[in-house]
Amino acid sequence: MYPAPAVKIFVIGAGQVGSTIVDALHGEHEVTVLDLDPARLAAISQRFDVATLEANGASRRALADAGVRAADLVLACTSRDEVNLVAGMFARLEAPRATTVIRTSNVEYIELWRQGQLDVDFVVSSEIETAHAIARVIGVSAAVQTDIFAEGQVQIVEYDVTDGSSTDVVGRALRDAVVPADSRVASIIRGASMTLPRGDDIILPGDRIVVIGSPQAATAWGELLAPWEAEVTDVVIFGAGKVGTAIARQLLEQGIGVRLIEENRERARAVAEAFPKARVYNVSGLDPGFLEREQIGHAQAAVFAMREDAKNHYAATLARIHGVAFTIAIVHDAVSRQVYEHAGVDVQVDPRQVTAEEIVRFAHDPRTQQVSMLENDRFEILDITTRATSEYVGLRFREMPIRGALIGAIVRDGRAVFPRSDDTLQAGDRVIVFTESDRASDVERVL
Amino acid sequence: MNQHKRRPPGRRSPRLAVDLRAALGLTGTLLKFLSVSALVPAGVAILYHESPWPFAAASVIAFGAGLGLERVGAHATTIGFREAYLVVALIWLLAAVFGAIPYLLSGDPQLDRPVDAFFESMSGFSTTGSSILTNVEAVDHSLLLWRQLTQWVGGMGIIVLALAVLPRLRVGGRQLLESEMPDTEGDSLAERIRTTARRLWLLYVALSVALACVLALFGVAGIDRRMGLFEAVSVALATLPTGGFMPVSGSLAQFAAASQWVVVVFMVIAGINFALVYRTLVRRRWRRAAADQELRLYLGILALASIALVTKIWADGLATGEAAVRHGVLQVVSITTTTGFSSTDFASWTTFAVMLLVGLMFVGGSAGSTGSSVKVVRHLLIGRTLRRELRQTLHPEEVIPVRLNNLVVQEKTLRSVTAFILLYVGLFVIGAGIIALDTAVQGPSLSPFDAIAAAATTLGNVGPGTGIAGPPGSFASYPDVSKLTLAGLMWLGRLEVIPVVVLMTRNYWRVR
Repeated sequence: MYPAPAVKIFVIGAGQVGSTIVDALHGEHEVTVLDLDPARLAAISQRFDVATLEANGASRRALADAGVRAADLVLACTSRDEVNLVAGMFARLEAPRATTVIRTSNVEYIELWRQGQLDVDFVVSSEIETAHAIARVIGVSAAVQTDIFAEGQVQIVEYDVTDGSSTDVVGRALRDAVVPADSRVASIIRGASMTLPRGDDIILPGDRIVVIGSPQAATAWGELLAPWEAEVTDVVIFGAGKVGTAIARQLLEQGIGVRLIEENRERARAVAEAFPKARVYNVSGLDPGFLEREQIGHAQAAVFAMREDAKNHYAATLARIHGVAFTIAIVHDAVSRQVYEHAGVDVQVDPRQVTAEEIVRFAHDPRTQQVSMLENDRFEILDITTRATSEYVGLRFREMPIRGALIGAIVRDGRAVFPRSDDTLQAGDRVIVFTESDRASDVERVL
Repeated sequence: MNQHKRRPPGRRSPRLAVDLRAALGLTGTLLKFLSVSALVPAGVAILYHESPWPFAAASVIAFGAGLGLERVGAHATTIGFREAYLVVALIWLLAAVFGAIPYLLSGDPQLDRPVDAFFESMSGFSTTGSSILTNVEAVDHSLLLWRQLTQWVGGMGIIVLALAVLPRLRVGGRQLLESEMPDTEGDSLAERIRTTARRLWLLYVALSVALACVLALFGVAGIDRRMGLFEAVSVALATLPTGGFMPVSGSLAQFAAASQWVVVVFMVIAGINFALVYRTLVRRRWRRAAADQELRLYLGILALASIALVTKIWADGLATGEAAVRHGVLQVVSITTTTGFSSTDFASWTTFAVMLLVGLMFVGGSAGSTGSSVKVVRHLLIGRTLRRELRQTLHPEEVIPVRLNNLVVQEKTLRSVTAFILLYVGLFVIGAGIIALDTAVQGPSLSPFDAIAAAATTLGNVGPGTGIAGPPGSFASYPDVSKLTLAGLMWLGRLEVIPVVVLMTRNYWRVR
C-alpha cells in the first residue's frame, strides 16, 4: 500500500480561518498551531488533537523554537496581512524546503506575488476567494454553489430543485430523464440524507442536487431547473468595502452589470471613480424609498456585503420584500449563516471558510490538484491522479464498488471526458471525485 | 535694519496679504527682457530706410522702467501664487503700454492718439487682432512688423502662461494639463516654467519658421505673386499665436488660394494644446493624440461648423466651388481658433452665417494652445456636468464622477469651470452693454448685434467684429470709452478672466 504521506503543518493564527483549516487537516496530518491568544489555542486544543503553542508567528526566534525547520507546509492565516507576510518570510528562511502559504487582503501583496517579487509559494486573499465564490454562483442561474476544475473544463454545481423546474429531469427515474450531455448527477441531498444516485433514483422538488459536467452542461442544467431565470445583467451589491468591491470587479470582468450601494460618502465616491462601468449610489441600503425609486427589486441578484451581519440580514429581507429573487449574503459571524438561512437568503458565503478551503488545498496529497467543499464541508470534491497500483485501474465504471464516492469526470491527456458506465479507468487518469468529507482520505488512498 | 523698527501703535498701516515688492521685482525683470524685442523692428526700420528711433526709444524706456521696478521691488527667489496673479496681470498691462510707445513716437497719423496706440498694442500682446487702422498700406514697414511681433511675443507668453503658470494657479480647467507634462512633474514653479518654455518655444519657433518658409516659397515659385518675404514672415508671426494682424488690407483675401489653405492648416495646429502637439510631433505619440477627447471635439466642431457654413454660403450664392469651401472653412477655423483672419468680408454675409461665426467666437481653441476664448475643454466639462445634473434629477443618490480622457476630474475643477463660464458670460454682457451705451451717446450708431459682436470678439481675443468693425473695416470710429472697454476685455479674456478679476477682490489684498 501507499500510505497518504503524513505532512507536518504549521498553522500560524488560531482565528476562524485557522480553526477551519485545523478542522479539515487534523485527522491525517501533524498539525502545530501558533497564536498569541491562549484562549483561542485552548478552544482549538479542546476540539482537535493538535499541538498548540503560545508564540508570535512574526518572530523568527519563536518560529525556530517551535521547530518550524521540520515543517513541510507553513500556513500563515492570521487576520493581519503584515504578520502573515513576515511569518511567511521567516518560515522560508528557517525551512527553505517547506511550502509557504499566506493569507492577505492587500492587493499590493497579491500583485507583488504575481510578479514573483514575494518569496512565498502561494498567496490567498479572502476578498478574492469570496468574489470568485459569489461570481460562480451568479454566473450559473439556479446554482447554490459551484466550482471549476481541470482548467475550466469541468464544473461542479449544486442546484436547488423547485416546483418550477423542468419535468424533463424532475419527478422521473434518472435513467428516463433527459439529462444534458456531458454531465452526471453526483448526489441527491434530501434533508439530512444523501444518496449517490443510480438509474432508478428520482429527483424531486425540494431536493438539492450536485451535478458534475462541462460548463455548457452546467448552463443547460441551470435552464432546466430554473427556466424562468434569464442571463444575469443586473446585480446589486450592498456595501462597497473590500469584499463588495472585489465582487464588483469580478462580476464586471465577466460582463455582468453591477450596481453598488455604499453609505459612506467618501467611499462611494472612491468606488465610483475606480469602477467607471458600475453604477454607485451613496445611500443606506435600508431606505425603502430608494429601493423603490431605483427599482432594486428588478435586479436578478443582490449581494449583501456590508460590514454588519445584522444590517445585511435586514437589507436582504427588505430587498426580498421589494422583489429581489436571488439573495446572497456574506457571513462574518458563524451564527449568521443560520439567521440568513432562516430569513430566506438563498446563498451564504463565509469569507473565512472560502479562504480556509483554498488554503487546505495545499495540504492535500501532492497528487491532489484541487479540492472543493460543498454544504459547509459535508462533502468534498477532489481532483486526483490515479496510481498504476490502484485497485480501480482497469475496472469499468459500472463495476466499481460504491464507497460513498462517485467519479464525475476524468481528465485524460489534458482533455475532460465524462465517463459512461462501459468506460474503464486507466492509470494516470486525473479523476474528479465527489465524496463525503469523512471518506476523502480513503478515496485518496484507494486511487 | 529699518524694517525691524516698531511702528507706533494705532498708526499701523493695514498689512498686505500679497508680497507687493516681490511681485513688482519679477514684473520689472520680465519687462527688461521684453524691452529687447523692440530692437527687431529697429533693424527692419534701418533695412527699409525708416526711422529706427521710436523703437530704440521704446526699448530704452521699457528697460529703464524694468530696472526701476526691480530696484523698487525685491528680488525674491520664490514667488507665491498670490504674487503670480499680480505679475501675470501687470506684465500684460505694462507690455501693452510698452508696445504703444513706438506707435506714439512714430507720429503715424492713424496711431498717434494714446488711446488708439494702447488699443492696437493691447490687441497685439493679447493676440486679438482687432485694429484701429483704416489704411494699413500707409503705415511704415517697421511699425507693421512691430504689430505682428507684439502678437508673436504675446503668443510666447501665453504658451508659458497656459502650460506652466495657470495650471499651478488652479485656473479653471487647466489643472488637467498638469498631468500632461510628466517630465516636469514635481519641479518648482520656476523650474517648470523654464523647461516648458525651452521645449515649447522651440516648437513654436519651428512652426513659425516652417509657415514663413512655405509661404515665401509660394512667393518665389510664383504660386502667390503678392507673397513677398515680408508678407510671409508677417503672416507667420500672426498665425501661430492665433493673432490675426495683417500688414495688408483685406487680410488673407489678398493672397492666393494655396497660401490661404496653408494658413488654415497652421491655424488648426495653433488651436491644439501645445503639449499635445509637442508629444505628437516630437515624441511621436500619435495614438494618445488620437484618443484625446478635447482634440476630437475641437476637430469635430471645426468640421461640423465648416460643413454648415460652406453649405449655407453656397446655397446663398455668395460663393461656389472651391471658393465656397475655402471661404467657409477658413472663416470657421479663423474664428474658432480666435485668430481673426478673413478671406472675404464675412460680416456682409446672411444672418445665419454671421450668427454662426459670432457663436463660434465663444468656442475658442484647446486649453494649452495660443487660442483664447472659453476653450473646448471647458465646453466639454460643462456639458458633462450638465448631463450629470440631469441624470441626478432622476437618480438623486447616484455618485457620478465626471471623467476626461478616462481620468476623473476633481469636483473643484468642475466648480471653477462653471465659475469661469459664468464670469465670462457676465463680462461679455457688461462689455456689450457699455459699448451699446457709449456708442448710443457718442456715436457712431451701431446695431445691437454689432455691440454684441464687438464684446465677443475682444473678450475672446478673436479680432474682427461686425458692421463698421467687420473684416474690411476697423474699430477706428468707436469712441474712446468703448476702445478702452474693448482693450480691457482683451486683457481679461487673454488672462483667463480669473487672475484679473481676483485682483479686484478685497480678500486678495487683505489678510483678513
